[in-house]
Amino acid sequence: MKRFLIISICFLFVACVSYPKKHNFEEIETQSILQNPYFSDANKDYVYKATITVYDKVFGGIFIVKKIETDHHRVVFTTEMGNKILDFSFNKNDFQINYILEALNKKLLINLLKKDFEVLITEHLNVRTSFSNHTETVNQTLIDKDDYFYFGDLIINKIVRANHGKEKVVFTFSEINDNIAQQIQIQHLNIKFKMLLKSIN
Amino acid sequence: MRNLIFILFFVAFSMQGQTKMTAKEASDLKLKVKTLAKDVQSISSDFTQYKHLDFLDNDIKSTGKLAFKAPDLVKWEYVTPFKYAIIFKENKIYINDEGNKSDIDIGRNKLFKQLNSLIISSVKGDMFDDEKFTIDYFKSDNGSLVHFSPKDEKLAKYIKTFHIVFNETADVVEVKMIESSDDYTKIVFNNKVLNQPIDEAVFNN
Repeated sequence: MKRFLIISICFLFVACVSYPKKHNFEEIETQSILQNPYFSDANKDYVYKATITVYDKVFGGIFIVKKIETDHHRVVFTTEMGNKILDFSFNKNDFQINYILEALNKKLLINLLKKDFEVLITEHLNVRTSFSNHTETVNQTLIDKDDYFYFGDLIINKIVRANHGKEKVVFTFSEINDNIAQQIQIQHLNIKFKMLLKSIN
Repeated sequence: MRNLIFILFFVAFSMQGQTKMTAKEASDLKLKVKTLAKDVQSISSDFTQYKHLDFLDNDIKSTGKLAFKAPDLVKWEYVTPFKYAIIFKENKIYINDEGNKSDIDIGRNKLFKQLNSLIISSVKGDMFDDEKFTIDYFKSDNGSLVHFSPKDEKLAKYIKTFHIVFNETADVVEVKMIESSDDYTKIVFNNKVLNQPIDEAVFNN
């Protein structure tokens, strides 16, 4: 019984080790504010060709983001032929579904997409803790009660949602030019869901 | 008073671009379109698509090629700014998304079937079915303009109205599909060629 208790406590301790510490990052002095620049220009229409892989099924479409004003974004997904599939508004803390195809009107899917899109468009983030492994900085933030880890010093190249030290969702930004990521990948690790976005404008 | 005259003048002037057809003009156009559509064995055309979303600064522009072969083979192929082809063939939809090929069986999907026949009829312009659509006829600067509003509620949820522009030979030069939100997709055809042989292999994925 005693041994079991010790093992359990050890296990609990390991499980509680934070995600950056697990990856050999050490805590450093925290910078207070972090800016995500990728969908922050209200003068720009952000248009991406999207490929979504759910289990073994692949769907294509056009992913559109527009910053209407500060903390107010419109996120729309259409087919290549232009038919609207979904149309979301994020206005401060208010989330609104302007349109969703009946077949996709499922709470689970909407929540998943809402969470992912919110990460893409959230511009100003309060940093809770910062970490470094001497080559890269990681800033820990909180979005909707979930822990997110922003990788990169001057340019964000990766965002990880982690729970109990484990990666749940990984956002990767690549081919970054003038605050635009030409490629964005959103990979869920607890379900087989991946979204690949390629800029087309 | 001067303002009122100015407004009336302005309204009259702006209305000139689009005036209602007389019943005779409408039935003449309908006959011409139907005659042309009946004889169409094939269509090949380039197209430019404009996706208009009210909140965007610019329409999303894409270009591609259309191939149609009677009775029901259709291929939409986008060339820029991405490569994507969708083929409607024998109750199936074949997709080639930048090299990734897939197909969807639409055998029992009523909406897809409706969509397929709508695409074919809108490309040919022959949507003059009073049971399915409320139809309004206009004369416009660059030919004739006909509004087709679906009576089927399910379909109307997707597309509120089709605006089709015909040239003087009653051939379709532009199709605009307006959603219930008033956002729309406009397709402008150019280099359209009718009834030239198209190799069946064009419709293979």
